[in-house]
Amino acid sequence: MQLMPLKSKSFTIYYLSEKAITLEFGNQIEEKTSIRISQFHSKLKEFPFEGLLAVVPAYTTLSVFYDPLLVINSKRLSGLDCFERISNYLTELESREDRSMASESDLISIPVYYGGDKGPDLQAVADHTRLSREEIIRLHSSAAYKVYMIGFTPGFAYLGGMPEQLATPRKTTPAKTVPAGSIGIAGIQTGIYPLSSPGGWQIIGQTPIKLFDVNRAKPALVKAGDIIKFSSIDLEEFNQLKQS
Amino acid sequence: MLLRILKPGLLSTIQDLGRMQHLAEAVPVSGAMDQVSCRVANIVLGNPENSAVIEFTYHGAELYAETDLLIAFSGDGAVLSVAGEELPSDRPLFLPANTHFSLIPGIGCRSYLAVAGGWNVPVILGSASTYLMASFGGLDGRTLKENDVITSSEVLGTLSKRILDNFISTEVNYPHWAASRAAFLPSLKKVVRVIPGREFTWFGAESLLAFLSDSFRVNVRSDRMAFQLEGPLIIRSKQQELISTAVAPGTIQVTGDGKLMLLMADSQTTGGYPRIAQVAAVDLPICAQLKPGDDIFFEDISRKEAEKLYLKQEQNFRELKATIANKFG
Repeated sequence: MQLMPLKSKSFTIYYLSEKAITLEFGNQIEEKTSIRISQFHSKLKEFPFEGLLAVVPAYTTLSVFYDPLLVINSKRLSGLDCFERISNYLTELESREDRSMASESDLISIPVYYGGDKGPDLQAVADHTRLSREEIIRLHSSAAYKVYMIGFTPGFAYLGGMPEQLATPRKTTPAKTVPAGSIGIAGIQTGIYPLSSPGGWQIIGQTPIKLFDVNRAKPALVKAGDIIKFSSIDLEEFNQLKQS
Repeated sequence: MLLRILKPGLLSTIQDLGRMQHLAEAVPVSGAMDQVSCRVANIVLGNPENSAVIEFTYHGAELYAETDLLIAFSGDGAVLSVAGEELPSDRPLFLPANTHFSLIPGIGCRSYLAVAGGWNVPVILGSASTYLMASFGGLDGRTLKENDVITSSEVLGTLSKRILDNFISTEVNYPHWAASRAAFLPSLKKVVRVIPGREFTWFGAESLLAFLSDSFRVNVRSDRMAFQLEGPLIIRSKQQELISTAVAPGTIQVTGDGKLMLLMADSQTTGGYPRIAQVAAVDLPICAQLKPGDDIFFEDISRKEAEKLYLKQEQNFRELKATIANKFG
């Protein structure tokens, strides 16, 4: 009864729904898997098939959403059903030589005001890690973070690369409201809340930049594959940036 | 055309067929939970299928026609009523200005009110659908409330205009025919067809047997994001952690405590629970009509069958559109 997934050289293809299939590039969270996913994603963007609606990268997968009617009626795709047609197309696309190895990765700098009322849990992180507040800020803002996936809520980035010394467990009781732009730590993860919501992460600061804004053509500021760096700003800069 | 909301009912939002273009930014699909009812209501008015409709949850809403209205009502959550008289579904309904009408109890959960030309709200990220969690789409990103006045688009298509000319009157007016919504839905409303999911084999044989033979009850903690289902515990035989990956409306996840969670229109775009199955797209509209306490069974079909059913349903929609166009051509 289990459906046999198809295999190509670098990914396994499986059925997600009548409107989507998923390519699986590996089975653990690794930088090299993430790079292969963004490279194939760029290739697919350059050579889309008829009926392609959306492509969703995650840690180890790339999911491809499509309009079944356009796919089944496309004269350029071959195969008995949508799954076969898209699998054939993507397998062929993969075997095509890469003209460029470019993956569309941007370096994004995010200004953060650490501590104060914007980072009410900075002291809790200091107590847990036995680092000074200054040392936490220095460590957090000197690392480069890889965006592995956008998920959970609109524009929420799953980041890899936080210095291990900063790891702090979540709060035992989640805060009722975490303001949009809050920077948090949960275990070995760090992240930014794009929207105001309840949350259990230790909040160490806040960015005045909007991570998600429906009035932008691309509402999410960061995408999977990007590299993020945080820079420490003072309250005056925070307020200026918030207004602009 | 202008509609005043006198009482909004339990949860009323503007929806269309949703937005797919921003999934990579974790913006959910949203849109009408029961897309068959939404599409039928639009098609019988000569609207594009994706026109904005109001999605009502259960009965209780009270509405007032500020101007003449040409509307259509579809779905199982309620029945329209004017001065104690029930109005039929799945066909054009003409209501003269100053008509007071209400939603009385139906047998399901959700209903849709379409208007000739579609309800006029801004298109946000390619869709009129309301996404409450992030407060955007629909009417200012929120549920409808008392005294909201919503307008229809001023420009009517040729077909909608002909339908309006046909039914315009000084009193409530509608045809004797109706679109057969039943033709789009499976005959067995308690059996939900599923395709085995990627992590189907992570579960023990006994649990898989229970999944495909026992009944599951819709829990009260069920909303536009997901339904929680009560039933036999589904136990994993493989203790591997799933690395978060894409999910879709219709995905059935198994949570850490062995319970089923059926993802619906406003579902998150990625998830980390193993996916035991995916509900066939053609059966999602019957799920959208489930109420807390309802029991369902799952029956497995192949992805090929699911795709055939989907394409057949699309064919039926094309035929319905052609029928309406011919009737008023």
